[in-house]
Amino acid sequence: MSTTEPRASHEAASLAGPPRRRGAVREIARRVASAVVQGRRRHPVLSRLLVTVLAVCVALVVTGLVSGVTDLDLATGAAMSIVILGLSFLTGFSGQVSLGNGAFFGVGCYVFAIFANHNNTSIGEDLLVCTAAGALAGLIVGLPATRLRGPYLAGMTIAVAIAFGSLIDQFSTWTNGDQGLNVQSPVTPPAWLANFIGAPISSLRATYMWRADITVVVAGIAFFLMANLFQSRRGRSMRLMRENEVAAELVGVSLPAARVTAFVVAAACAGLGGGLTTLVDTTVFGSLFSLSLSIQILTLLVIGGIGTLSGSLIGGLLYAYSITWIAELVSGIGLNSTSNLSSEMNNIIFGALLVITVLVAPLGIAGTLRFAISRRLAGRRSQN
Amino acid sequence: MSATRLRRILTPVAVVAMGFGLVVTSLTAGSASASTSPKAGVPGVTAHSITIGGTEPLTGIASSGYNEVSEAANAVFKWVNSHPSMHAYVHNRTINYDIIDDCYATPGFGCTGNSNELHDTDTLISKPVFATFGSLGTPTQAPMRAVLRAAKVPQLLVNSPSIDFNCGVAHAKNTQPYSQYEGCGAVKGSTKSAVFPNTFGFQTSYPAESMILGQYIKHNYASKKVCFLGQDDDFGHDGEIGLTYEGIHPAIADYYNLTLLVLDGASSITPYITAFSSAHCTLVYVDGIPGAVAAALGNANALTYTPQWVISSVGSDPQTLAGLLGAGAPLEKGAITFAPLPSTTDSNPWNAWDHLVLKADPQPKYWGTVTNATLLNGNEAIGIAEGVAFVEALHAAGATFTRASFVADLLKDTFQTPGLTPLKYTAANHQGLIGGYVSIVSATGVTTGRTSPAPGVDGQKKVYVTTGTKGAKVTLSHRVSTTVPAWLR
Amino acid sequence: MDAFLTSRNVSDILHGLVNGVVFGLVGLGLVLIWRATRVLNFALGAMATGGAYLGLGLLSYQVPFWWCFLLAIPAGMLLGGLTERFLVRPLYGKPEINPIVAMVGLLILIEAVVGSIWGTRQRSVLPPFSYVDFHLGANVVQLSPLAVFQVTAAVVLALAIGALFRFTNLGLQLRASAVAPEVSRLLGVRVSRMLTLGWMLACGVAAVAAVIVSSGFISGLTPSGMEGPFAAGFIAAAVGGLESPTGALVGGVSLGILESFVTDYWNPNLVLPVSLLVLVVVLMVRPHGLFTRQVVRRV
Repeated sequence: MSTTEPRASHEAASLAGPPRRRGAVREIARRVASAVVQGRRRHPVLSRLLVTVLAVCVALVVTGLVSGVTDLDLATGAAMSIVILGLSFLTGFSGQVSLGNGAFFGVGCYVFAIFANHNNTSIGEDLLVCTAAGALAGLIVGLPATRLRGPYLAGMTIAVAIAFGSLIDQFSTWTNGDQGLNVQSPVTPPAWLANFIGAPISSLRATYMWRADITVVVAGIAFFLMANLFQSRRGRSMRLMRENEVAAELVGVSLPAARVTAFVVAAACAGLGGGLTTLVDTTVFGSLFSLSLSIQILTLLVIGGIGTLSGSLIGGLLYAYSITWIAELVSGIGLNSTSNLSSEMNNIIFGALLVITVLVAPLGIAGTLRFAISRRLAGRRSQN
Repeated sequence: MSATRLRRILTPVAVVAMGFGLVVTSLTAGSASASTSPKAGVPGVTAHSITIGGTEPLTGIASSGYNEVSEAANAVFKWVNSHPSMHAYVHNRTINYDIIDDCYATPGFGCTGNSNELHDTDTLISKPVFATFGSLGTPTQAPMRAVLRAAKVPQLLVNSPSIDFNCGVAHAKNTQPYSQYEGCGAVKGSTKSAVFPNTFGFQTSYPAESMILGQYIKHNYASKKVCFLGQDDDFGHDGEIGLTYEGIHPAIADYYNLTLLVLDGASSITPYITAFSSAHCTLVYVDGIPGAVAAALGNANALTYTPQWVISSVGSDPQTLAGLLGAGAPLEKGAITFAPLPSTTDSNPWNAWDHLVLKADPQPKYWGTVTNATLLNGNEAIGIAEGVAFVEALHAAGATFTRASFVADLLKDTFQTPGLTPLKYTAANHQGLIGGYVSIVSATGVTTGRTSPAPGVDGQKKVYVTTGTKGAKVTLSHRVSTTVPAWLR
Repeated sequence: MDAFLTSRNVSDILHGLVNGVVFGLVGLGLVLIWRATRVLNFALGAMATGGAYLGLGLLSYQVPFWWCFLLAIPAGMLLGGLTERFLVRPLYGKPEINPIVAMVGLLILIEAVVGSIWGTRQRSVLPPFSYVDFHLGANVVQLSPLAVFQVTAAVVLALAIGALFRFTNLGLQLRASAVAPEVSRLLGVRVSRMLTLGWMLACGVAAVAAVIVSSGFISGLTPSGMEGPFAAGFIAAAVGGLESPTGALVGGVSLGILESFVTDYWNPNLVLPVSLLVLVVVLMVRPHGLFTRQVVRRV
């Protein structure tokens, strides 16, 4: 806030009143900013909690204002942002790349669907189970990570992503093979919500809003927990591992344990995101979890910004809206929507963006913005 | 200010900023769809128009061939809209068909649409459409039954032979509509029956088709050892159940994985054919998509294995197979198959009319320039048949109707359609067509793909019908729709 | 002898050979690139596909099969050279993850560009060989003239690459640049040119693998069709130790045969999981593969 607020209020002030009030507004903004800084320094967890609650509240209000379709997109993006956040931790903190997170996501989807269909449990329990299942899958795949490094591991995870489709069919008594599974509305919106928006409980509007609300709240919890993990001592020592493994070992990081932990955390996030996605979509089938999903998760992470919270949010947002944007672009430039070129436009754009990001802005959108802002601030300070 | 402290401050700032970004995006995106508030009266219907919608695989994994179905139905609507007499027949309402590309709910594989089926269906609901019509696919449409039921939007003529769309009334557990798959069960394995009174299928069901083919096998190939290859979903499993209803118990029944077929192509089918060959099966029944059928035929040829082939209508379209098999196209010759519609290679009135309709479409998308000599394929024929069925239903609904009265009229009347059997829905039967021809892929193979009458049972071109349920009989019938009704000409 | 050749186990081995040589060639390509530049080329499968499509695209212009086959090789090499020069070179010395991500980006991009030009429908190119298996009396030997051609082409190519490295001055320079770039530079070897050449050779080899895949009966090539062979090729190369060309080839063929046995005796769904298990077990026991000596990690 110390960066954007003063400028914004500066412009607002110059529009609203005589120039002499400018100084006062700036002063207030400065005080707010410094209070935030002070608060953050003294009570980092508390201030993170506040920010999370604020963001979640804003998002909840939004879900009440928009249409059912938008609620659906919002929930899809929020669920995916958790998956990306998990990979962000794995890659940003332990320096490992996983191209198999689509499989962990799939584990979450299937476990959620099977568990919710067979048990009369609350949504909270369902989500805990699919998170745990994701974590377990991560532990199994992550164990070799104690001995494998970089490219070996990345190559292995590719094989995991491709093998996942066969495994789904192998367990077709549970997964229903090519047919997939339907989930019969695991949640029903409460009466007060329906009254609040003035739509019947059974209406799609109320149903989607409620699902989006659950997703937003769960995403808020996940982001809060991960933010604390990112800033914890353990998190920071793991970050060192990415820079220099030997140095990390010297400060007492157990490399194998840290690698497996990172894998488990990433897979748990993917499992949770998968469970939420199934809650929203109410259907799961095998062809969703191809290698391209795993690749897409990595792409969104890199473009959003590795190792940052905001980067994961950007990634989730791109996941939910990029299809619509690119479809509009395709029709905007007058391409036949069924031509081969427009069919591949999505991948051409994302593939090119990924390559450009690595070459030009390896920090991604979030990291690059943050870097630019901090440089600008530093410049301003030196002027002062 | 140190760099680390700065970063700590900026992280939540950025998160909040992103949150607001999300808000702004959502609001702008939301306002676009929210602005079209439902008008008073019947949703999607005005005095001069009716809007229906469908989710279709125009691009992506299942688009090849299937992208033509809805466009062919739309060609019928354009034909009716542009002829004053026909326009009067549907009470002077212009039919608008809103086709949304759902990529078979599968991202990738060249998908340009939004592959989230719920998003696409909800887009149609909030448009609003009067009903969905001809949406394609079992895994895509089965989950949408509950969504459309909640929105009170009829789900008409779903383009799938699955029994999942025949759930007009509650069924007892372990009757056919459950099968081993979800069917009309509330969820997989549930004892509760889900009821979808506004959901209607169109095509002859998987078990009905395999019962009819099963009876043919029983009469003509009683001495043959049967092996079965099915797709690992209700297509394969309900198909095999239909065979067992007719007393045919395959020596080997295997199910291929669609995902592996897409990934590995023909080699994923090799082990099954090798096993059938080693077991010396003399008749192989395939309930698979054209890609699987082509792979099965090719693999058998590599082993010089020549059983009698019996192929479901979904996988046997000679035009589609010719594209896949190339020079190997004659391999399909002599295969027994099933046809719910009059053959596109016969000279019959409906086939001629299909040509007229497709030739007249001002924006032909997938079939290119149609001349009288163009060989239409099964996808185009089924799309046209569904389009005609809807036009008939719209006529039957009268000048004023509601969603409820439309469905009530749908249950009351019998419709001709180009189908070989009448389209007669009842409360207990929302399936649609109930039978068709047994035919043989002709000797001339690919380029003409002629089908001829099935010898053996009666030597005549006869239609077989069955409800496809346990204990039901396969009975001989006659073709209902031999001419194009006057109002369509 | 006849009974032996048509027996179930021999059939499985013969059947696994074609897949095996494809995996071996992809593995060989990965090893060549890894040795030269320490980059695991995740886009190798897609680059091979690109090369094969460029070559095979000519088929629609009535160019004879043999020309298309031969042209796929320089097409693949061109792609490899361009990639090394413009995409990989700026990333030398950057964190290990950067080239990995760049290669993933290239993978998406190439598959998309190929798809936008030729569509995603399977394209198969039937070579002038029959795919119908040989007969011994009434029994079938699971080997067709086509399979013989495919295996022969792979073996000839592998031998040619081996000869290039072992017996030519160029091969010596290639090996030297990979093993000791600094020393080689001092001795006057144009190391950067050698690295580019290494990439070109690897992608040319992989393009042949893609052509072999595309020439199978109705199991032709799609833009994403080399993803499966890439995963298997990687497993083969990693089991062999990523450093050893022989290891990759032996690993590939063994893996192909193993997969054939798993399919026949067990279940096609278990092919990749079993391969993965083999990889994990081998690497847990010998982290640097079966064919390379353990090296001390450099700081």
